[in-house]
Amino acid sequence: MEDFITVENISKNFSGLKALRDISFSIKKGEALGLCGANGSGKSTLIKILAGVLSADSGKIKIEGAEMVSYGPLGGIMRGISVIYQDISLFPTLTVLENICVARAIGQGRILSILGSERARAEAILGDLGVSINIDSIVEELPIASQQLVAIARALNNDSKLIILDEPTTALTSKEVGLLFKIVNKLKNSGISVIFISHKIDEIVELCDRVLILRDGGLIAAKPIKDTNLEEIETLMVGQSLVYSKMDDVDREAPVVLEVNSLTKKNNFKDIGFSLRHGEVLGVIGLLGSGRTELALALFGINAADSGKIAVDGTECRVRTVNDAVSAGIAYVPEDRLTEGLVMNYPIRENIVLATLDKFKDKFTFLKRRSMSEAAQKWLRTLSIKTDSPDNIVSSLSGGNQQKVVLAKWLERNPKILILDSPTVGIDIAAKAGIFAILKTMIAENGMGIILISDEIKEITAYSHRAIIMRNGRVAKILPKDEINEERIRAILNEQKQTK
Amino acid sequence: MPKMSGFARFLRRVRAGQQFSLIITLVLVFIFMSVANGRKFVSFYNMAAMAYQLPVIGLLAIGMMISELSGGINLSIIANANLNGIVIYLVLDLLTGGKMAEASLPFIAAAVIAGFLTSVVVGLFNGLMITKLNIPAILVTLGSMTLLQGVNLVLTKGYTISGFPARLIFIGNGSVAGVPAPIILFAIVIVITNFILNRSSFGLKLYMAGANPRASKFSSVDVTRTIILEYILSACFASLTSLVMIGQMNSVKANYAESYLLVAVLASFLGGVNPNGGFGKLSGMVLAVVILQLISTGLNLMRLDPFMITAMWGAIIIIILVVRETAAFIINKINQQKAV
Amino acid sequence: MNIFMKLFKKRETLLAFFIAVSVVVIASFSDNFLSYDNITNILKSFTVTGIFSIGVLLVIISGGMDVSFTAIAQVTQYIVVYVLLNFLTGNIYIAFVLAIASGIVMGLLNGILIYHYKMPAIIITIATQNMFYGIMYVITRGKLLYEVPSFFWEFADAKIFAVINQNGAFTGLSVVTVLWFVMALIFAIILRYTILGRSVYLIGCSQTAAERVGVNIRNTILFIYGVAGAIAAVGSIVHVSIVQTVIPNSIVGQEMQVIAAVVLGGASISGGKGSVLGTVLGVLLFAILSNSLTLLRISSYWYNVFIGSIIIGSVTINALREIRQRKHIVRVNVAE
Repeated sequence: MEDFITVENISKNFSGLKALRDISFSIKKGEALGLCGANGSGKSTLIKILAGVLSADSGKIKIEGAEMVSYGPLGGIMRGISVIYQDISLFPTLTVLENICVARAIGQGRILSILGSERARAEAILGDLGVSINIDSIVEELPIASQQLVAIARALNNDSKLIILDEPTTALTSKEVGLLFKIVNKLKNSGISVIFISHKIDEIVELCDRVLILRDGGLIAAKPIKDTNLEEIETLMVGQSLVYSKMDDVDREAPVVLEVNSLTKKNNFKDIGFSLRHGEVLGVIGLLGSGRTELALALFGINAADSGKIAVDGTECRVRTVNDAVSAGIAYVPEDRLTEGLVMNYPIRENIVLATLDKFKDKFTFLKRRSMSEAAQKWLRTLSIKTDSPDNIVSSLSGGNQQKVVLAKWLERNPKILILDSPTVGIDIAAKAGIFAILKTMIAENGMGIILISDEIKEITAYSHRAIIMRNGRVAKILPKDEINEERIRAILNEQKQTK
Repeated sequence: MPKMSGFARFLRRVRAGQQFSLIITLVLVFIFMSVANGRKFVSFYNMAAMAYQLPVIGLLAIGMMISELSGGINLSIIANANLNGIVIYLVLDLLTGGKMAEASLPFIAAAVIAGFLTSVVVGLFNGLMITKLNIPAILVTLGSMTLLQGVNLVLTKGYTISGFPARLIFIGNGSVAGVPAPIILFAIVIVITNFILNRSSFGLKLYMAGANPRASKFSSVDVTRTIILEYILSACFASLTSLVMIGQMNSVKANYAESYLLVAVLASFLGGVNPNGGFGKLSGMVLAVVILQLISTGLNLMRLDPFMITAMWGAIIIIILVVRETAAFIINKINQQKAV
Repeated sequence: MNIFMKLFKKRETLLAFFIAVSVVVIASFSDNFLSYDNITNILKSFTVTGIFSIGVLLVIISGGMDVSFTAIAQVTQYIVVYVLLNFLTGNIYIAFVLAIASGIVMGLLNGILIYHYKMPAIIITIATQNMFYGIMYVITRGKLLYEVPSFFWEFADAKIFAVINQNGAFTGLSVVTVLWFVMALIFAIILRYTILGRSVYLIGCSQTAAERVGVNIRNTILFIYGVAGAIAAVGSIVHVSIVQTVIPNSIVGQEMQVIAAVVLGGASISGGKGSVLGTVLGVLLFAILSNSLTLLRISSYWYNVFIGSIIIGSVTINALREIRQRKHIVRVNVAE
């Protein structure tokens, strides 16, 4: 097969920082190429250059043999390159039909936008994709998965020859992921090339023909999938391999810290019941759309449940707001550090004390600056956060250190229950191990119970004392310690994939 | 790094400070106006005149800035101030049976408190609409501004109402040991506001909620409550402005000071408040207000058309934009060259 | 049933319903209300607001804001009338051409500043409003121009569908009102059926997303603010034709009323939503209600109370509807 696009020696700097260094690769027609790399490895810069949104500082791009320097987003679309961005980039107040057709109309330089003639074409594309979406509905009223499909339909309508999918599966349920994979395979068969970006490496292994691995702006490796495996890709991405240490055994007689009974919220989850002991790590695993994050948000008062009981240390609590949850001793480390965990442009100190401001009030209710700084200093030391002063802005820290600041914020409150939602996403290997080491010490010191939600099965098997598997908003299974292993969990999850 | 003299170190510290460019601007404006107007500008008489004028715009501007800390805006602040004055009149008129100039101190206090409570209710209304119904602040306060303007007209039937008791007027045009009363009030208010914004937990919560409301909520900050309090605080400044204005105009009217809305937005802009929320220092606001007062007084002394000053306010915003952009561009270029 | 529900969900239907109810209620109180004379008068007196609202609609759909259009209109009006009094003998067409040129220049200045400096449009347009208006006042010293060329008032007096009323005077639909409706129609077509018009919606939804599908953001923003300036200028010529005098502070101050009408018409301040039909209906509802104040002999002091209540009422309805919609989002397909 001939190459659709060839990239030669591309480099890109942002105000002196090297975002991409000397990248060269090519994609064949009908090939699915996986793109892997940790956060900040240069993936999104590379996509933007391919799409024409950014132009490279040096290097060449050849599309079907023709050499390009920079072509702009419209040029990218005209030459057959479409990107489906992680944020989907649709126009929420417009109809499905218009969303599908508008880019093509702009690309053709048309003056009028009369969609009647394109209705059949758009409907045919949606039909090919095997989805039934009302073409006249307003996009913001559709579920995320359908929006994603609309974005794919738009790319197809542009006569794309290369479709770049940036983290397309994050918001999809397993059934929808399955459908997406089928579609991608269909595209490949009709000679369309695909670049697939995902932090779930198993998806890349399942779907792609070849994988590119980026680290710190450089291309580390380009391998056919059949010559590599999940572990090797992970190792290449981070530069070293991860060693999972085990947690200490839990005291089976330890008192129950959290008891949840028939917790229900319409359209979120139903009839959830479990208990958590002091010092115990309860793993929660489930595919997207299983209701696990919704459950966590309910326990934390963001998304309060409709009915059911939550009891902390044997006392029943009403959790309607975050304040209720926090005063009951529940803390939550959210999945999305940047938007939910931290106030990025503020100093480390303010971020650490934010959840415990009452502790720092003097008798006139003013804040005691010095004790705030001391508290922050203490956590910088205890958690070995690499920075020289708590006055530094949080966004200047690396991902791992940022996550430690989120942890510090809650540990300062000394919670009874700590809920961690995907705590190691986007964090390098060394920092991952560091975070679990911290948790281990904290459990030993104050006996808090931990609920660990994660997509990474290995994290669950390594660290949890018991594991809940969620499915369709319900508890599907609670595995005791000796039954928690990768095969078992994968089997249950796969069974779920098939039954759906 | 080579050793620095004490003075160089001092310079470095000042330059690193956030308000450095504002201080420079202040000095430049002062020098320019002094040269352009000569002795008239630096005279004691002129300084005192400025001290009387500055608090009105200063209080409005700080009220505006507070509303901008959460990324909002309070367009209703001036209409609210006028309403506050009108309520004071109505209560005094009622209590004294039409002879409000002779009102006793308890009656004055009652009227001022009634006015203050009205302002608080307006602030509460704005805050509730913005948080509970999730309506953009610009729409809510546009609505309440128009509504209050109407209420003010209905209550006064368009008349200018004068004849306030001397003790109330004192706040706006009296003096204590030669120092104008309004500037004393303004100074006290700044000190208190400084404690509220920079030392209290409410202040920190407000800044953090403005910078990232979601993360703040996830850190157990009650964002709804914080923003409602924010708009009440902003309305308190309307109430204070009203007290000063009654003294200066010796009257109340439905639509006093409406042109100050722009100046208040301009001051917060000049003072470095981020209109998207989360960032903005009281010190910057105070400097900005002083700069604007110097410009306004200076231009007045130069016998410039008052509308020229209106045009200037508009031009200043655009000049600041151009200067900031160009400076950022040059600094960026220099940094890039250093990196290479 | 489904179609009925869909229609009812539309802002335009809701407004038409409110207009119908108001008309019935007011007509039952006042015999005069439904007379041909009164209706054409209401339409004529709200024509300037109606024309201004089209420009504001364009800006609001794009996610922007413009409070400078009144100043643009004011300045344009002065320049055009001054030029036609002193330098040119013209006619109404030349007046419009001059006005549109002047409006575009000032509108483009807004557009350039907003595109280039990425500052909130409200701040930029507050600044330019004061600049335009202040400079005009300084140059003209606030002098009124009493004697406008006669073709202005001839234009405003022209009527179609004229009949003779009981007082023996001609009454009919004013040509200026026809101009308003024609402009509304043209812009409805532009916004609905041209790529440029759709790009206004795309930018209003998300500038990033629009850029990614190849919309030229700069040109579109310049188009939006340039056209908004031109529309304001057209409105100013209609205004002087009706008022027959140039009063330098007669337009500035109307911004909020126009914005209120556009919001009432269903446009969303956050962008991407709004229609010409909705805006026209919004202005009509305003016109009817304000006329009813006069007919019912309610003091004009109540007018602002009334506009303020309408703004607050209509945004509250929008907000409540959105909150209700959000409650029904299915996050997880819970197994039964």
